[in-house]
Amino acid sequence: MTTLEQLYQAVIDGKNKDARALAQRALDEGANPGDIVDKALVPAMAAVGERFKSNEIFVPEMLVAARAMKEAMGVLEPRLVAAGITPKYTALIGTVQGDLHDIGKNLVAVMWRGSNFRVIDLGSNVPATKFVSAINEHRPHLVGLSALLTTTMPAMVETVRAIRSAGCPPVKIMVGGAPISQQFADEVGADGFAPDAASAAEKARALVESA
Amino acid sequence: MSRQTYLSLAGAGARLPIGTHLLLHAHPDPEAIVLDGRRLGGVIVEAAERFRTSLAVPLMDLALEKEALLLACGLPASQVDGHHFSAPPDIPDEIPLTPRMRAACGALAEVACRPGLVPIGMAIGPFSLMTKLVCDPITPVYVAGTGVTADEDCEVALVEQLLASGERAIHRYLKAQIGAGARAIMICEPAANMVYFSPKQLAVDARVFERFVMEPMRRIAGLLAEHQVDLIFHDCGELTDDMVRRFSTLGAAVLSFGSSRRLWEDARLVPSDTVLYGNLPTKRFYADQFTVAEVERLARELMARMGATGHPFILGSECDVLSVPGKEREILSKVDAFMNCPGASCAC
Repeated sequence: MTTLEQLYQAVIDGKNKDARALAQRALDEGANPGDIVDKALVPAMAAVGERFKSNEIFVPEMLVAARAMKEAMGVLEPRLVAAGITPKYTALIGTVQGDLHDIGKNLVAVMWRGSNFRVIDLGSNVPATKFVSAINEHRPHLVGLSALLTTTMPAMVETVRAIRSAGCPPVKIMVGGAPISQQFADEVGADGFAPDAASAAEKARALVESA
Repeated sequence: MSRQTYLSLAGAGARLPIGTHLLLHAHPDPEAIVLDGRRLGGVIVEAAERFRTSLAVPLMDLALEKEALLLACGLPASQVDGHHFSAPPDIPDEIPLTPRMRAACGALAEVACRPGLVPIGMAIGPFSLMTKLVCDPITPVYVAGTGVTADEDCEVALVEQLLASGERAIHRYLKAQIGAGARAIMICEPAANMVYFSPKQLAVDARVFERFVMEPMRRIAGLLAEHQVDLIFHDCGELTDDMVRRFSTLGAAVLSFGSSRRLWEDARLVPSDTVLYGNLPTKRFYADQFTVAEVERLARELMARMGATGHPFILGSECDVLSVPGKEREILSKVDAFMNCPGASCAC
């Protein structure tokens, strides 16, 4: 197995110390840091997403894989920055106002990072005005709104409306969370919906690449 | 108390929602009421009367224990909701009751004065409380399940410490509620589920679930039994059969599960003298698409299926039914739909 193949497997298995060491070894062997991301880390997280979708693994396994990826990125990032390599796309994400739940939102952020997005996480219980000001500040390609409670779905409606009417730079809006459906996404004028974190990564790439 | 009370209610075809929040928010000053034990007790009595039940179910406010713990650590009240620990905090031995906890105890005392009502207490479970105290509780618990110890991983050490501190805060509150007259207490462990614990990991070795969920719960069950207070165990999270089997060993008088479970199949997993409660998908009551007719259909179907099992069952809500501004009437009409629709009583 090559070092990149071992790194791929270490991320899938959630072995964070191995992932860090293997990322360092790959650099020491002369691998390009961008290639390490593109040929080991991104495919590993895509494989994790597929296994999650097919119920081969569950949320905890997905999170430990993300932790391993983060460890590897800790080694790679200084080199990526020095080489001027940054993720092509930026995404904002947050749970809408009134909703303190953040597991789903965190999982989507994990999968977006695994798809090589730069992700700005606004946290939970985020007012619409904060989404608007963050969009103006960071000019993301994508914004993700999460809600767990049916009672906070109106806040999602309000946030989409605020983003659309505030004269923000053009941005794709994705919505998701336990009570959210494609029908709801269409009704509120969102650009995309995903039923789970793994699908959210695929949908995000499709949306930004079609823009 | 005796579990015969609940068995008799089930046998008589009793139904009830966890619906005190609905009644509370019909008052103009709910924020003041939750700080006033006498008035809060009045609302609980009002809910019991409104829903024609002897079980006086309080508010399911699962934020009280976190508030008590953080205030005891010296955090300002304004930071309680969003605060997560990233390092082991210095938590004092004595965790004082908050004003809302004292009001909840006052409400219990008020209910206890009313003949014919069963005063029921409420608390979050230790594992669920711990999950509210850290940003990511899932990863360290999973890592602990792989055999990594607190000495080897600071995040594992943090969740273990917070679990123990949370359990202390809960015991303190439980004792106060018992002292105030609770004859049963509902312990809510909604985070003990398939999101926080990997079924794949548990299939190989379930010791992490035992350590983080079951052992603290057994200590709580022991405390309640010592005071002859009944345990009503509630977990509306998505569960595996194995989790249900484990919860069934707690000696609870009543088990309350979410709508993701098929209660008629769970009847095979739980002792025959443990009442199964709830299960209607009340979290969907807020959605317009979920109609009164659909509530009635599901209620009739659930009653019929549970009747066929012969297992003691009380029809009700999978969780607390919240009042939502502008939707109060619609939600209440759905509660009334399952409370009043015709259907076979449980034949047990």
